[in-house]
Order: sequence, then structure tokens, then C-alpha cells
Amino acid sequence: MNGIKILTVLRKELTAGLRHRAASASMLMFALTALACMSLALGGSPLEPNVLAALLWIVIFFASTVGLDRIFEDEAASGTLTTLKVYADAQSILFGKMIYALISLSALSTFLLPTFIVLFDCPVAEPPVMLLTIVFGLIGLSGAGTLVAALSTAASVKSGLFSILLFPIVLPIFLPAINLTSAAMAGGEISLTMLIPMLLFDAILLVASSILFDYIWN
Amino acid sequence: MRIVLEGVRLAFGRAVLFDGLTATFESGRTTAIVGANGAGKSTLLKLAGQFLEPDAGSIKAFDGDRELLHAELRRRTAALAPTMNLYDRLTATENLRFFAGLRDVTVDDLDGLFARVGLTAEDEKKLVVEYSTGMKQRLKFAIVLAVGADLWLLDEPGANLDEAGRSMMLKEIARAVGERKLVLLATNDPSEEAAADDLIRL
Ligand SMILES: Nc1ncnc2c1ncn2[C@@H]1O[C@H](COP(=O)(O)OP(=O)(O)O)[C@@H](O)[C@H]1O
Ligand SMILES: [Mg+2]
Repeated sequence: MNGIKILTVLRKELTAGLRHRAASASMLMFALTALACMSLALGGSPLEPNVLAALLWIVIFFASTVGLDRIFEDEAASGTLTTLKVYADAQSILFGKMIYALISLSALSTFLLPTFIVLFDCPVAEPPVMLLTIVFGLIGLSGAGTLVAALSTAASVKSGLFSILLFPIVLPIFLPAINLTSAAMAGGEISLTMLIPMLLFDAILLVASSILFDYIWN
Repeated sequence: MRIVLEGVRLAFGRAVLFDGLTATFESGRTTAIVGANGAGKSTLLKLAGQFLEPDAGSIKAFDGDRELLHAELRRRTAALAPTMNLYDRLTATENLRFFAGLRDVTVDDLDGLFARVGLTAEDEKKLVVEYSTGMKQRLKFAIVLAVGADLWLLDEPGANLDEAGRSMMLKEIARAVGERKLVLLATNDPSEEAAADDLIRL
């Protein structure tokens, strides 16, 4: 693995992604539609923090599946995957694409989070915990998403299966993420040490992806 | 570099493509692989580059007496094939720099490299989606030249090229062989077949 090659991959993803915004546009459209539906259906009635937290993560999860399932599928469809396999080593591709996924999801959340807070009149008692929870959640989601995207493309699984495959892998991150987000909204007994399990699972996920990806790529 | 195939067998389903195939390819030589459509030329290139594993038999790459690890061989391989596409939404230069960058190569003389494959300075800045098939073929070949690999797997390199393009390709192949590169050529073009040192007819 080498940092410069990871940056090479990241730069290419950013350039191509900015010129052809289909993936980010569909993520954004999904998030917008979901927010609008929920907001209209609820008509301003107040929700408990745990319900709000679950709703937020459901929107993040499904919005991400709309964009992340294309990570390798687009390359396979356009025939660039074969060229990439000749010239690129597995780890540069994995981490380059993973960082790009994280950047896309962060951009999405930068839009999603304030909108969500305003629309649902959502309290935020502990902003730092809330932010870190979302960052750690997105890291796990990008890592798992990139791996599952590679697996489903390698196995030529139809993309509908992407979210079904992704869900069990990110569940150990989502459950603490929902609890922590809810606690960060409500305030009270909460400390940054509660983020450690999420951080650990992120680390395990990244190491496991890195090991598995060599087999998927070659 | 030397690539040794011994008793290679490969079948797709019930169709047996190779059985008991034995061959040796050496640095400083071009081997042309010829045969009808579907004879297995492209598949043989993939086997030689270890992009595909045989069902039986062995395929090994050596540097002197030392067997090359899979990752080492990959780093020393460049390839060109009709199924290998470039990024339509990147410019020619961005494509070239990207693939070269994946091999830790920075291209200094961009104009020179483009000129070598018959592309102009104006072509450098064009998006690949605006390229003709022949221009794409030239750009793919520029990538092969840029990465400085020891093993060249060229699948129908003359495809879609005009007369000048084909003679440029043959000249570059001859030069590469002079630099002790190992060139495998899957082709149906008589002039490419004639330019090779060895021939495998499938
Ligand atoms: N991945 C594959 N799955 C099934 N059959 C394949 C696959 N790749 C090649 N083949 C079959 O192997 C034969 C040889 O293919 P190929 O090497 O591409 O031929 P050539 O390059 O000589 O035209 C063809 O009959 C083709 O259908
Ligand atoms: Mg072929």
C-alpha cells in the first residue's frame, strides 16, 4: 500500500464524480424525498429522540446504498474495471474508493443533518458526541459499502441485493450509532468513551476489508 | 523474464479450450498467437499474465532462476485489449497520468509520448469520450509505453488502427523487444504475425 497511489485513485474518483454527478444526485434525491415524506406525514407532531435518531440513520443508510452500490458496478459496466485490474493494486483501489465514499457520505450528511434538525425541530444537547457518532458511523458505512460493492460486482449479484448484504455488516455500527445519536439529542448521562465500541468496530472492519479485498481483486 | 506453461488445461463448462498446452516465452522475443475467432488467443494472454488460473498444469514467471510472485509479475505487466476501456469522462492526459500513477510513474514528456503514438498536443486535453476508436487504441498503447513494464500482453493491438498506426505499433514493438521486453501478441493480422519471432497457432 502506498499513500500516493491511494491519492491517485481518490483524485480520479473525485474528478470523474464531479463531472458525472449521477451517484451523488441519486443519493441527494433519495434523502430529499425521504425527508419530505416524513415531514409531511408527521405534520409537525413532536417525536422522541430515539425515534428521531432511528429515522436519521435509516435515511443515511438507504441514501448511501443508492450511491455506494455503483462503486464497482459502474466500472464493470463501462469496461474500465479490466484496465484497472491490470494496472492497480488491490489496496490502493480499496482505500482510494473508500475515502471517496466517505467524502460523498460526509457531503450528503452536511446537507442532511441541518435539514433534519430544522424540519423535525430536533434537539441537540451534545453536538460533539452527535458529530463524532456520525463521523464514526460514516467511516463504517464507507468501509462496509466499498467491500460489499466489490463483492457483489465480483459475484455479478444484482444491485438490489447490495443493501441486503450491507445491512448485517453495518448493524454492529448502526445500533450504537442510533443509541448515541439519541443520547446526544436528549442530553444527560453521556461521555465520549461511549464512542470507543464504534471506533473499535470501524477498525476491525477496515482491517478485515483490507485482508479480504486482496482475494476479491486478484 | 521467462514465462513457462506446462501441461495447461482450461475448460469453460464442457468446452475444453486447452489441454496439455506447454510453451515458454522469453524476454527479447515477440510471440504471435494466431487462430480463428474463439480459438483462445485472448484467453492464452490472460493465462500467461496470470489473470486467469488454469484448471490443471502450471504457469510460472521467472526472473533468471527466481520465480516471480503474483504481485511482482503484475507490477511488471502492461496490457492492451479490446475489452480494456479508458475513462470516457477524463481527458486523455488524465487517463494517462492516472494509469501511470498507479504504477508510480510520472510522465515528464507528455507531448513526446503523445507524439510517439501519433496523437497531437490538442488531443491531450480532449475527453476520451470525444476520441475515435483508433485514437483510443493509440492512447491505450501510450499507457503501455508509459508504465515501462517488462511483459507486454497485446491483444489485437492493430485493431481500429490506420496504416500509419499499425506501422507505429510494429516499430514500437520491435524497439521494446530490443530493450529485452517480453511481448505476446494475439492477432489475426498477417503483418503482425510476420513481425513476430515465434508463432503459436491455436
Ligand atoms: N469467461 C468466459 N466464460 C465462458 N467462456 C469463455 C470465457 N472467456 C472465453 N470463453 C470462451 O473461450 C473461447 C476462446 O475465447 P477467446 O480467448 O476470447 O478467443 P479469441 O481471443 O481467440 O477470439 C471462446 O469460445 C469463448 O466463448
Ligand atoms: Mg480475442
